[in-house]
Amino acid sequence: MLKTNAAWPYILLAAVSTMRFAPALADTAAQPEHTHQVVIEAVRFEPLDLTVKVGDTVVWINHDPFPHTVTAVGKQFDSHEIASGRSWKYTARKAGVFAYTCTLHANMLGTLRVD
Amino acid sequence: MKLIGFVMAMGLGVAAAVPAAGPTDPQIAAIVVTANQVDIDAGKLTIATTHTQDVREFAQRMITDHTGVNKSAVDLVTKLKVTPQDNPTSQSLKAGGEENLKNLKTLKGAAFDKAYIDHEVAYHEQVLDALDKVLIPNASNAELKALLVQVRPAFVAHLEHAKKIQTALAAKS
Repeated sequence: MLKTNAAWPYILLAAVSTMRFAPALADTAAQPEHTHQVVIEAVRFEPLDLTVKVGDTVVWINHDPFPHTVTAVGKQFDSHEIASGRSWKYTARKAGVFAYTCTLHANMLGTLRVD
Repeated sequence: MKLIGFVMAMGLGVAAAVPAAGPTDPQIAAIVVTANQVDIDAGKLTIATTHTQDVREFAQRMITDHTGVNKSAVDLVTKLKVTPQDNPTSQSLKAGGEENLKNLKTLKGAAFDKAYIDHEVAYHEQVLDALDKVLIPNASNAELKALLVQVRPAFVAHLEHAKKIQTALAAKS
């Protein structure tokens, strides 16, 4: 009984230490990359042309009442169907200019430039 | 006059007993829901009938997109407490859709595909014309008008898609 009680200060210390250092670690890990947003609405990508850096993440959000895809013409990336109200994210790992379309609505065109 | 023009534009030839003023929001709601449902029904018949992959995929796209548009329209009018009101235009649309289905059911193979796609081209041209000349200008509620503006490009995409298949079918025959 006495031994069990004696452990509490160490447990509390460990918990407090985690609380103090965890946010600092999270900040360090999250900051170097950026996230960009492309809205899909009225059967178009907005912005149509987006430039990001290698390592950045792009999130496409579908605001239309039906599905769309985000599909690179050269097949470097493909979201497959993004349902209404859902999103899809892609982290750009390779530099280049990537034209993309929606395979369900061929008149939708966008460009992702990765520097 | 606007509504008469709309009915004529839908290619239905029903100009009798329509009011001289443009449609009200409850009437527009009924027209939108009926127009979508007519195309969904034609798409379902096509999925069950055609053996042509491009035509099947197009029909599936019509079912999915028009079902999505209808859900948005119903959600909005429910929120706005607008009850869709049947009117000569929605009734004519329904009758025209039933007539199209009746005709398609008599056809098979390439003749079916051609009739379905030809009708889809004409239908989407007519709906776009109606959206631009009657439905969008007459919608008084801002959210209803915004929904019509938002879904208009889908009809443009469908029309282009249908025309592309129409050209491909003509080249095959």
